[in-house]
Amino acid sequence: MSASLPHPDYEVVIGLEVHTQLRTASKLFSPAPVRYGVPPNHAVHPVCLALPGVLPVLNRRAVELAIRAALATHCKVHPHSVFARKNYFYPDLPKGYQISQYEEPLATEGWLDVPMPDGGEEAVKRVRLHRIHMEEDAGKSIHDPAVVGSDATHVDLNRAGVPLLEIVSEPDLRSPAEAAAYLRTLRSVLRYVEVSDADMERGNFRCDANVSLRPHGSQTLGTRTELKNLNSFRFVEAAIEAEILRQAEVLATGGTVHQATMAFDPASGRTRVLRSKENADDYRYFPDPDLVPLVISQQAIDAVTATLPELAEARRARFERDFGLAERDARILTESRALADFFEAVAGELSAARSAANWILRDVLRALKDRELEIEDSRLAPEALARLIGLVEQGVTTARAARELVPELVADGGDPATLIRERGLESVSDAGLLEGAVDEVVREHASDVEAYRAGESKVVNFLMGKVMQKTRGKADPAAVRALLLRRLDGDAES
Amino acid sequence: MATGSGPLGTLPELRSALDSGETRSVALVEQSLDRAARVGGALGAFTRLRGEEARAEAEAADARRRAGRSLSPLDGIPVAIKDNLVRRGEVTSCASRILEGYVSPYSAGVIERLDAAGAISIGSTNMDEFAMGSSSEHSIYGPVRNPWDPARTPGGSSGGSAAAVAAGIVPVAIGSDTGGSIRQPASFCGVVGLKPTYGRVSRWGLVAYASSLDQVGAFGRSAADVATVLEVIAGHDARDSTSLPEPPPRCAEALDGDVSGLVVGIPREYFVEQGVSPEVVQSVRAAIEELEAAGAKTREVSLPTSEFAVAAYYLVATAEASSNLARYDGVRYGYRARNVNGLADLYQRSRSEGFGDEVKLRIVLGTYVLSAGYYEAYYRKAQQVRTLVRRDFERAFSACDVIATPTAPELPFRLGERAEDPLRMYLGDVYTVSANLAGLPGVSLPCGSADGMPIGLQLLAPPLEEAKLLRVADAYQRRTDHHRARPPEPA
Repeated sequence: MSASLPHPDYEVVIGLEVHTQLRTASKLFSPAPVRYGVPPNHAVHPVCLALPGVLPVLNRRAVELAIRAALATHCKVHPHSVFARKNYFYPDLPKGYQISQYEEPLATEGWLDVPMPDGGEEAVKRVRLHRIHMEEDAGKSIHDPAVVGSDATHVDLNRAGVPLLEIVSEPDLRSPAEAAAYLRTLRSVLRYVEVSDADMERGNFRCDANVSLRPHGSQTLGTRTELKNLNSFRFVEAAIEAEILRQAEVLATGGTVHQATMAFDPASGRTRVLRSKENADDYRYFPDPDLVPLVISQQAIDAVTATLPELAEARRARFERDFGLAERDARILTESRALADFFEAVAGELSAARSAANWILRDVLRALKDRELEIEDSRLAPEALARLIGLVEQGVTTARAARELVPELVADGGDPATLIRERGLESVSDAGLLEGAVDEVVREHASDVEAYRAGESKVVNFLMGKVMQKTRGKADPAAVRALLLRRLDGDAES
Repeated sequence: MATGSGPLGTLPELRSALDSGETRSVALVEQSLDRAARVGGALGAFTRLRGEEARAEAEAADARRRAGRSLSPLDGIPVAIKDNLVRRGEVTSCASRILEGYVSPYSAGVIERLDAAGAISIGSTNMDEFAMGSSSEHSIYGPVRNPWDPARTPGGSSGGSAAAVAAGIVPVAIGSDTGGSIRQPASFCGVVGLKPTYGRVSRWGLVAYASSLDQVGAFGRSAADVATVLEVIAGHDARDSTSLPEPPPRCAEALDGDVSGLVVGIPREYFVEQGVSPEVVQSVRAAIEELEAAGAKTREVSLPTSEFAVAAYYLVATAEASSNLARYDGVRYGYRARNVNGLADLYQRSRSEGFGDEVKLRIVLGTYVLSAGYYEAYYRKAQQVRTLVRRDFERAFSACDVIATPTAPELPFRLGERAEDPLRMYLGDVYTVSANLAGLPGVSLPCGSADGMPIGLQLLAPPLEEAKLLRVADAYQRRTDHHRARPPEPA
């Protein structure tokens, strides 16, 4: 696959449709629980099985979460929206229709500021959102012969009726990397406001991409194709790139791109036509007569607004302004709400917020990454980290010893002061002990001392390392350095 | 009062007999079951009887009565319920092959309320398949016959419930009305049939035909009887998003026979010469005069959109039905075709073999109505007509309290007579569909007869005005005897 993007001949136009699962205890229109890892068809109720006589009742919590997402993406929430039936036959769609929103969605006209991948012209791009609406998920058809035997298909309806939010962007994205950056930002926002776990691997954050090409400078959109079911960030980029190359090839050979639904085959790295426009389903949308229009008052919107956390962008700006953090650092620290909360809690305990940032960015994030943990899964309490930093600043222990404790604190928790005492990690500040070690090193490395005195000032680092070895890393490097220099320089004078 | 397998008395008669100890619920239920098997069997009125369950429930009702803890005016009273309301652990068929063997794991809201009131269901009544029809002929169980003349239709789709009340098998019965399916069979069978305001009675557990039009209601021998049932089955149900929050209407006090000063609206468009038989017009006019004699005033009103109502009704109803019936696909429950070759074949054959012709006709029509390119011309236009129909009524009700019309334009036709002419059958719904389109309460009550067959007067009222509606109906029945007429006892 070529890495020659952006394409020399064509401008790439991409719009994304994201389906993300709302974090609710029960389904969108059914009292059945939303639950994973239970046996097939065990998280169901007559409503999501579409038994005769059942009726849908809208989950109010899902509406609240949808409003949160709409507000967090600067959308206009409509006071009146309508649920519609999308009719098609499939075994994992028990009613023969999906309840969605069609002509009158929950929210429209939003935007997201997306940090652009390195090398782009702009650092941040404002991507417009076309609409956000609520709908229910379908069940799962299992065709795998290893699971179901023979060529049978089994249907698991645990997922049927789970609440989804569909978020449709305008065609504002211009490369696969921009598309991925948009998805990362969107995911972060959805997690930030605690609307969705937005976990691609677990299938609760799914993406379809509309892709078209047009000659550079053209104002009209080319014919687009829709790439379905891109279920990882890697796939999103690879699939869009493959589709761009396919369309460019078609256009370059004088052909025409036909509107179609495409699938990406990761094995071959190519896209293929799933359904052409001529064979497109007629979904016969119409307002669901079992449901009343969804009316959202300004008071309801205000109530949700009041519970919204400070959004990532505002928080990043505040971190830069109030804590003097660099933009890049502030952005990383605000990527998840839990991390930003953690940072603020640590900073609140310390006189210098800067050092809280350094410790988190350098040590805590690495420890989390090594153990594949999120900050909220870690056992490291913000007070403990603050205490650890304080102990370093007071000279009780050294930064080096403290850093070695971070992975353990992240995994198992514990009190830093106790750990330092138990492990004998107190810094050696006893002047006599330190002087003894320095004396020994000066004695044992006479030739290096000579070299230093002859002007090879870098030798001091080697000698320092030897002193640190002797004190098993517990000595305060600054104190060692001062003592060593005084000894080396002072002795020369004598 | 009659015993053995003779017709059961009216609801007030049965209640006073129970109260006085003259009879017991077990005896009433036995009589009702016996008559359902004998007379009901000949009429094709039932799809299933609940002999064992009903007898056990009657014992319990008698025990409550002995202990002085009767639950309601329906406690211990045998009733019959249309076979499109589900009951936990029992079969619901909708008179369709496609629900073959289907047993519901839950009960309809209406059934829960009837159970809680102590009413005893003796069985499920026959109907047009999925409530689609006006003759109760479209049923896998065969047609229902009219107790007044077994060669004629009892009307539909709730024909079994209407026939069961008319034949004295039960004093009251439950039906559903989507375009007249309670009122028209009530008219044809010479009983009272009430369709409440849309949202008054829970649709939870009512197998849907057309969700925005369907409403559960009651049959009885008098306005007072259906009022009693309404008070039991009405009220908010959180499981139905279209259920209204209002508590059940309090009809008992309202039925005082006094209609002085009330204004009865007469829609000028409904009494034209064309399409309505002269006997029907004559009886309905006489009924209106009777109401005037009772102190009511009359006033001509206009419902100009009426001429489009039947067309709008069949577009909306079939569109909703095409979607509501998509779930019967042979995958999860009910009828599944054997030896199918792939998914498409499973769908096609299960549905082709499982649904009857009238249901298939309406599914195809409704699918067409919603199709890309036709939606605007049909479905959207029908919704616009619906809005106009509603406004017609709002305007009319600003000048009157109730509106009086015929229930059906013609006398009951012969079985099979309309089988090849569905359009003519649909036009028979001309007086009833508007109330469904506008969500209004309506009642049909006997007001005369011709050729030995009953004729029905329809009264309509504004939303939630059932008490006023039934007050007028009751006042009429206090002055007349049409509702006391009984069909001939079968030989």
